[in-house]
Amino acid sequence: MTDAALALHINGQSRRFASVPDAERLLDTLRWRAGLKGTKEGCRTGDCGACTVLVGGEPTLSCLLLSREVGDEPVTTIEGVAAVPIGQAVIKAFAEAGAVQCGYCTPGFVVALAAQLGRSKSPPDVESLVDGLEGNLCRCTGYRAIERAVALARKAVQ
Amino acid sequence: MSSLVAHRKAINRRPVGVRVSFQLVQPATPEEAVRLLAGASAGQMSVLGGGTDLLIDIDQARASPRQVLSLRKMPWRYLRWEGSSLVVGSTLPLRTLELDRRVQQQLPGLWEAIRDVGSPALRARATLGGNVGRCSPASDLLPMLIALDARVRILGPSGVREHPVDLVLQESRKTNLGPAELIESLIFPSAAPSTYMWQRVQPVNDISQVGVATAYLPDAPHWRIALGGLQPRARRLSEAEAVLRSARPTHLEQELAAQEAARRAEFVSDKRATESYRRRLVAVMVRRALQTTIDRMPRPAAARKPSR
Ligand SMILES: Cc1cc2nc3c(=O)[nH]c(=O)nc-3n(C[C@H](O)[C@H](O)[C@H](O)COP(=O)(O)OP(=O)(O)OC[C@H]3O[C@@H](n4cnc5c(N)ncnc54)[C@H](O)[C@@H]3O)c2cc1C
Ligand code: FES
Ligand code: FES
Repeated sequence: MTDAALALHINGQSRRFASVPDAERLLDTLRWRAGLKGTKEGCRTGDCGACTVLVGGEPTLSCLLLSREVGDEPVTTIEGVAAVPIGQAVIKAFAEAGAVQCGYCTPGFVVALAAQLGRSKSPPDVESLVDGLEGNLCRCTGYRAIERAVALARKAVQ
Repeated sequence: MSSLVAHRKAINRRPVGVRVSFQLVQPATPEEAVRLLAGASAGQMSVLGGGTDLLIDIDQARASPRQVLSLRKMPWRYLRWEGSSLVVGSTLPLRTLELDRRVQQQLPGLWEAIRDVGSPALRARATLGGNVGRCSPASDLLPMLIALDARVRILGPSGVREHPVDLVLQESRKTNLGPAELIESLIFPSAAPSTYMWQRVQPVNDISQVGVATAYLPDAPHWRIALGGLQPRARRLSEAEAVLRSARPTHLEQELAAQEAARRAEFVSDKRATESYRRRLVAVMVRRALQTTIDRMPRPAAARKPSR
């Protein structure tokens, strides 16, 4: 079996990768081929949310998605989210709230929260925003600071 | 280049099960998909919906297909209402169903069950077809599908067949689908006041110890009670349903139905809960789910004159 090339739209750019195995996950293509190390591998079993990226604008677990199943849907990683105002507001809120300790979970949280805030003109209430982060685990903060960051970010984009 | 070397090194450090390889085939039409499946030798080709079960099975060496057939290009990502029945394409992400207001209003129990599957980012890929295909005894969707009398439309080499979901399910990782058959859609015959409740150790990304689905359908027998978390799979408890004789059963009837459900369910003890704990849970949860379903019924028109 020879591995064929693969083209993806990542963070607004067309990227082409030579010889990608069919079984490769988007997480690995992003980290090891595209060099986008912001997306983290936590569990590889769908449990932690550290690998969350946007596929077609929806938060998606890149550890449970074959790169070849992405097709022409645009992929946005934390690097892409960090380049737009909403993403920057969320990152700033995380920093200000002290919601980053080791930081390993942060990219996943930021991507998932920025997607929710970007979805509609008037952001949902804090409780439903926090609900939307239920698949993101953090071993350090105890979540209080993250909830504060959610409230801050919501205020900032309003 | 150096990053590729690092990639190989990283992969080589992983547990053996993760170093997998297979060929991905992405047929363009359902007919082509069925033809490819029919031509594959037994056990060599797996079907990929959202992949949230299959890819983990492959990583953990519970499945080692040589080929994986992707349903990505199937025209099955739809949701449509035909009168009061809902038809859902098998590859529609659960997330799309969850965001549909009408689903939430008309099939509240289904909506609740869907919201209990993993996290939003998981539901962006996970599908109904995959949940039925996996047939997990701990599934949160199967009890609700059974309670709502959902029908499964199956496409195969000899055309289309349709069965109640209860007849399609067998046991964990086993359905009565033939090797070249695919689930095309699921049909929910009618809107119904319904409720899904579960009990877990952790609220998210954990496996339910017990799941209780109740629904009040327009067709007799109106009340449906189905349980998940039992072996070999979710099932209806008609003995408990039979206790409920009206749309608004009394507290005593609800209690009796709950006890009947707890008595009849084939629970086992496993690492998630003991059998006796599950029975006690179910007795409480069935009563609560029935009451919630009653509360979700349209209010009887108080001012309306009796018809006779
Ligand atoms: C972190 C995590 C949490 C989870 N939490 C829950 C939970 O709370 N509740 C719950 O019920 N489940 C849960 N699951 C299990 C899983 O997400 C669901 O079972 C999901 O619905 C599977 O859908 P899929 O499309 O991803 O299936 P896939 O992995 O694509 O397929 C599963 C099986 O079905 C077959 N299949 C898929 N589509 C079809 C089709 N159209 N026709 C015929 N066969 C088909 C496949 O061959 C495979 O055998 C969880 C999984 C993970 C990883
Ligand atoms: S690495 Fe994907 S969910 Fe944990
Ligand atoms: S900050 Fe360390 S895991 Fe969240």
